[in-house]
Amino acid sequence: MTKKIVYYTGCFADYYGPDIGKSFVEVMEKNGFEVIVPDTKCCGMPQMANSNLKGARKNFEFNTRVLAKAASPGYDILSTCPSCNMMLRREGLPFFDSEEARFVASRVYDACEYLLRLHGEGKFNMDFGSMPIRVFYHNPCHLRVQNLTAAVDLMKLIPDLDVVKVNLNCCGMGGSYGMKKQNYDRSKEIAQKIWDEVKAAHVDVVATDCGGCGLQVQAGTGAKIMHPLMVLNQAYKAFKAREAA
Amino acid sequence: MDSIPIIHIVEPSAEQSKHRAASIFVRKDHRQNIDDVKERLKDIRSNVRDNYASLVKELQESLGRFGGITVTHAIDAKEAAAYIKKVAGDINLASINKSNIVINELRPELQASGLKTYIRYYTEFKNFEEGKFQKKVEDYWSLPGMHGRNLIESFGIRKTMYKIPSPETRNFVAVLGVNAIAADDGSVFFLQHMSNISRDLDQAKKIILVASLEKITKTREEALLHTRSMGIFGLESILLDLIPHDVEKYDFDTLPIVDGQNREIHVVILDNGRSRLMEDGYKDLFLCIDCRACARQCPVGQHLLLERGMVYSPKNYLLGFLQGWLPSVEYCLHCGRCHVECPVEIDIPMLLWRSQLEHYEHHKRSWKKRMLDDPEILAKLGTLAAPLSTWMTRLPPVKVLMQVFTGVHRNSNLPAFTRKTFRHWLKGGRRD
Repeated sequence: MTKKIVYYTGCFADYYGPDIGKSFVEVMEKNGFEVIVPDTKCCGMPQMANSNLKGARKNFEFNTRVLAKAASPGYDILSTCPSCNMMLRREGLPFFDSEEARFVASRVYDACEYLLRLHGEGKFNMDFGSMPIRVFYHNPCHLRVQNLTAAVDLMKLIPDLDVVKVNLNCCGMGGSYGMKKQNYDRSKEIAQKIWDEVKAAHVDVVATDCGGCGLQVQAGTGAKIMHPLMVLNQAYKAFKAREAA
Repeated sequence: MDSIPIIHIVEPSAEQSKHRAASIFVRKDHRQNIDDVKERLKDIRSNVRDNYASLVKELQESLGRFGGITVTHAIDAKEAAAYIKKVAGDINLASINKSNIVINELRPELQASGLKTYIRYYTEFKNFEEGKFQKKVEDYWSLPGMHGRNLIESFGIRKTMYKIPSPETRNFVAVLGVNAIAADDGSVFFLQHMSNISRDLDQAKKIILVASLEKITKTREEALLHTRSMGIFGLESILLDLIPHDVEKYDFDTLPIVDGQNREIHVVILDNGRSRLMEDGYKDLFLCIDCRACARQCPVGQHLLLERGMVYSPKNYLLGFLQGWLPSVEYCLHCGRCHVECPVEIDIPMLLWRSQLEHYEHHKRSWKKRMLDDPEILAKLGTLAAPLSTWMTRLPPVKVLMQVFTGVHRNSNLPAFTRKTFRHWLKGGRRD
């Protein structure tokens, strides 16, 4: 393999949703990339949200230093978490500007955004097996505000998969915001619309790129939650199984 | 009466627009592109932001040429309210418009001074005949669909006043936040959705026009575009406001007609911390045209609106915190949608964060806040003890303790910890 990519895991894909990280590696390998995973820290957004500027700076500067070094041969940096992506790409810069931070910001992409770009260039591996499932897609705010809904276009490439509904509303979670006692009720009120839509859609899977959104949707619906990369990876595996058979 | 600045009242009408849009006589190149409007607005507002001191001076000089008005400059809301109370004299009844400056900043001080304030707008909604109300609402809802056609033409000048008439005068004061005011000739613009502004201008014994930095433009043409743009970009926020409000209503039309020979117009230029904010890194806030487009997709907006009765927008929320009349900005969940919606692209989420971070440079963070600010440490600890840690965080007594000590609500859906993290998987030869 000659092409390389740097993966910024973020906390969720590392500690709570390792299947997201695994799927990312396998999907990228299917597309001919070797994945480099440098040792990084939390992106700093939770520290910002909890007014800890010092802690956010420490993490952000550490990450941008490490990522800039890893990407220095000209590699792009991908993330699977919308909030980490926003932090590295634009939110951190006004507070912790540096040459490294700007370099990293210019190289960071959302994983699905990147894969869709490959598809546009005719370089995306389409060896998908059939996945006859109904999917509800929830677009997290931190992708929504970057006008990124690439996951939908990618999932639609999977044979027999039906994206029955795309939701663009806020789920009210906002990282730890919706977990806090003072915000909990408000957060649930905001989520109610999505919960109702998920229940009405009668789907097999709710796909969303954000771990926090996934927890919120699951809390109100009990739905099976998958990151879009996990869906793509399953489709690749379905193809492999079909070939083996 | 001596001369007064020209007062223009802009009003929307979807019906007229529909006719024009459908007309074969409207050539495509005569319709303004919405992106061009945004660019022009950015130019206008950037000019004000970068030259605000000279523009305030120019405005004061322009207004000084009119013998029929009295102009004053108020440092803060308290000073402005004291002036208005003095002008009101023995009148204790005030009609106010739905301006953020008047409602959010001035109203508490006006009420504290003893003036009874009512928003006439809501009374007019209440008094609408059913059929007409329905038509008005339908008319409004059809306006957003005009984007990309000739929406800007939907907001025309419906009324121009060169003097204030006297036959309808009643004994109350009108405190009206202007929508725009031109520095070069002092002309005043209002965006009117009901007839509240016209009626106040026709009826109030004493009229107090309130302007602040973000309402000033260089020229009359700019003030007109500013005012129309408030309507264009703020349409859906206006519509969102059409929810039942628990506000006290008062029918000014039932007041007896009094002698209108000595009607007065005063102009208050209110600073209320704006000059300080311009110097403190918040000058982009004054690119704002107060359209409240930023409120359109704000997930917490309706909650704040209902709780506080303020004219809500994320920008007003931030301004309220910076001016000291709101205790925090921690209602915001930092979704970033306000930034996307803003026609002049003010980075409100960044400014909200900045204000919060600056606040905590001088204030101690609660220990609950400290507990939650490093999820990675919590994740590492949970991982070490998984699956025991997951089991424990599902136990009701533990959940209660967590709520007490970390502030995490006991019913929160917490993620499960796993002993085998992604990095373990990667370093362990990718074996599941």
